[in-house]
Amino acid sequence: MKSRVVALFLLATVFVSSAQAGDPPRVVTADGAITEIVYRLGLESLLVGVDTTSGYPEQTESLPKVGYLRALPFEGVLALKPDLLITSEQAAPQENLDRLARAGVQVERLPSVRTPKAALERIESVGSLLGNEARAARLAAELRSKINRIQKASSARGNEPKVLFILAAGNHSVMLAGEGTAASALLDSVDAVNAVSGIQGYKPANREAILASQPDAIVIAESTPGQFEIRSWPEVERLEAWQNGRRLVADSMMLLGFGPRLPDAMAAVNSVLPAPSDVAANDS
Amino acid sequence: MVLSVNNVSVSLERSRIVDGIDCHLKAGELLMLLGPNGAGKSTLLKAISGDLPYGGSVTLSGRELGQWRPERLARQRAVMPQRVEVNFPLTVEEVVQLGRPKMAPDRSDLVVDELMNELDIGHLRHRLVPGLSGGEQQRLQLARVLAQIIDSPGDRLLLLDECTSALDPAHQQMVLDLVRRLAKAEGMAVLAVVHDLNLAAQFADRLLVMKAGRLVHEGSAREVLTPELLETVYGFTARVVELEEGYPMVVPRRRGPSGAYTAPANPSCRQAS
Amino acid sequence: MIRDAAGRLGFAPYLVVALLAAVLVALVSITSGAYPLAVADILSVIAGREASDPVASMVLLEVRMPRFLLGFLVGAVLAVSGALLQGLFRNPLADPGLIGVSAGASLAAIAVIVLGNTWLGGWLAMTGEWALPIAAFLGGSCTVLLAWRIADRSGQTSVATLLLAGIAINAVAGAATGLLTFYANDEELRSLTFWTMGSLGHAGWDDLLVGAPFMLLALLVAPWLARPLDAFLLGESVVGHLGYRTDTVKKAAILVVGLGVGAAVAVSGLIGFVGLVVPHLVRQLLGASHRVVLPLSALVGGTLLVAADSLARVVVAPAELPIGLMMALIGGPFFLALLLRTKVI
Repeated sequence: MKSRVVALFLLATVFVSSAQAGDPPRVVTADGAITEIVYRLGLESLLVGVDTTSGYPEQTESLPKVGYLRALPFEGVLALKPDLLITSEQAAPQENLDRLARAGVQVERLPSVRTPKAALERIESVGSLLGNEARAARLAAELRSKINRIQKASSARGNEPKVLFILAAGNHSVMLAGEGTAASALLDSVDAVNAVSGIQGYKPANREAILASQPDAIVIAESTPGQFEIRSWPEVERLEAWQNGRRLVADSMMLLGFGPRLPDAMAAVNSVLPAPSDVAANDS
Repeated sequence: MVLSVNNVSVSLERSRIVDGIDCHLKAGELLMLLGPNGAGKSTLLKAISGDLPYGGSVTLSGRELGQWRPERLARQRAVMPQRVEVNFPLTVEEVVQLGRPKMAPDRSDLVVDELMNELDIGHLRHRLVPGLSGGEQQRLQLARVLAQIIDSPGDRLLLLDECTSALDPAHQQMVLDLVRRLAKAEGMAVLAVVHDLNLAAQFADRLLVMKAGRLVHEGSAREVLTPELLETVYGFTARVVELEEGYPMVVPRRRGPSGAYTAPANPSCRQAS
Repeated sequence: MIRDAAGRLGFAPYLVVALLAAVLVALVSITSGAYPLAVADILSVIAGREASDPVASMVLLEVRMPRFLLGFLVGAVLAVSGALLQGLFRNPLADPGLIGVSAGASLAAIAVIVLGNTWLGGWLAMTGEWALPIAAFLGGSCTVLLAWRIADRSGQTSVATLLLAGIAINAVAGAATGLLTFYANDEELRSLTFWTMGSLGHAGWDDLLVGAPFMLLALLVAPWLARPLDAFLLGESVVGHLGYRTDTVKKAAILVVGLGVGAAVAVSGLIGFVGLVVPHLVRQLLGASHRVVLPLSALVGGTLLVAADSLARVVVAPAELPIGLMMALIGGPFFLALLLRTKVI
């Protein structure tokens, strides 16, 4: 870990020196969480473009959009004359990333994040890439203490409540989160378990599966507010957890991005999880 | 002999449609094939056209059909199917040009022009085929088919399947007259399926009558077109009138109110003396 | 005489116009893009001199050039394939999707995307970066062969059966694609969605190396089929009467389409409408003779696709629209207008 930060630091210094001393680097970010980090670090003045997954905070709207991170255009990115492109390993197509690198753009692909620890490391990586590891370290420390507090609370709960995780994104598509998803990872971080087992990834919601899941709490991630219409899903409304108010409807990027808002996401989920006594009552 | 058909049979869907037909055709001869619906006339023609597999032997200029190279055969044998539907915007001239063989002598434009004029479609040459009337389309197809073999060397065989069915009487006369003239002048052998007995009587050198896949009669119009044969082959009653022009004419009898055939009270045609 | 008696302009003026349009669109597509290039730099690169902008030569020679060539080839091949199939089936609605080529090619490509790191790991290891294009190409060709085998009746290819087989193959391939989509994870889903919308965004010399030989072969063989295909317009039996080997012609046409479209789908994903609209347009203007329809479809198809691609990469710059989407956006209304105006097929 330490050696990695040092390596990144060295890289960053090389980079900064190459970008004619004094001139602030022009940066494009192509990943919602990474963009959020840049804003939280207060370095948004460096940004000259973002991708379409970067919708938070709202100020991103004034920046040029280079398209979807899985279909990054070569010329579109190059036209912004960036010195640095920070993106995740999901970025594609590879050909265009290679070409950008050959055209002199420093292309950094950060690994996907599925744990709080990795989320903090990513913040530090972004900080070093932007030559501001001190600020990044402060932010990471601040978030770390929040996360620790939340995790302490959730382990103090001493139970593993089952949570039904619903993702409402795009036109009328309502999906259940299965194993191997960021949703599962989020639940994991607060000692909760996915109420839906046996499916991989996000799968179209099945009404019977919702009834059978018998969750202790319900989390609904929306890509735009109001996207999930409870009227269309009477099964969800009928669930005990819904009626008991153990439900959370929140922004999907906040919940699933594992960015700087991760503690908020964890706290929000935690707040709807039942105490052990409730779970026991539910089981009986 | 241009065409020799020996013991030819065709089966479709396990039933025998054409059953052991023999016929022969000399250069310059115009042979018409008659018979009721379902007799197997068109099927026989398709077998000779190479559209259907057959049993027996069909030779053109003494050579079995299967042994001809397709492009050589196309210069000796032309086929006009019963229906040709064109859904694409080809012009009349383009379709006639399509008939011209690849290795034809280089005077296609002349041949095509002449044929279009002969068949009274010259004025339509730039019109699109899908917009033509049925009769115009039929004349067009005949022009295309003639363009294919009209100036080929060697024996030539023209196969026509109901080539006048959509034509008005004037054009029927015009078309069959042209076919007959070409047969005589160019030595083309013509085998035509027709339904109109009177046109057959007027233009054919020889008639062939099929019923249920078999050849039931063969001979000149006068020999073939008899009230007895019409009764047994077609099942209708008719008088046959000998015309001054030198060929017979078939006059069907109307059914009376009782359903029985009645002779017309006052024959409209004068009996030839 | 420029205008013939049917009121249609002759072949030559249209050919000249089409060539000019192709050249124009080539210039536009090479000189325009999200990345601003000075005219002086473009000229320097063309003249082989050092440009003032160090990435100018890369943008022009490694990105825009192969993209233009690939787009033109793909458009030409799709249009010519559409024309071939419409002639073969005597149906102006036929397009390369009809006999299942596109479906087969895309199924194979999607299989690679979804099963690449599980069941098809061996394939990936074997073919490396070219896994997707080669799979799409094989998928397209295999589908054609399959349709052909099904339609084969003791050496004769029944066009009606071929059509039915195509419909069935499309259904099966569609279902298999759906199944794969269901098993795909989020990430795979996104990349296959983008792939089915068609894209030239990644185009490079590599793609040309994979696809161009097959596409060029298809374009070179197609003109040989022009005359017999004209005969096809009069009916299948007429082809034989006119002295062409009907079955050879059919097989050649199907093979050309399989090769060309398989390769096109392999390098650019699914791009619709070109195969349907372009031959149709050419026929409206110049008649149905394939000696005219085939070469002009190639020119117009290539031009149209490059034009759509040029537009796709500037309208939402710095982002890009998927070319398949752009094509449908342009092609759809255009086609409808054409239908309304003429009402004759």
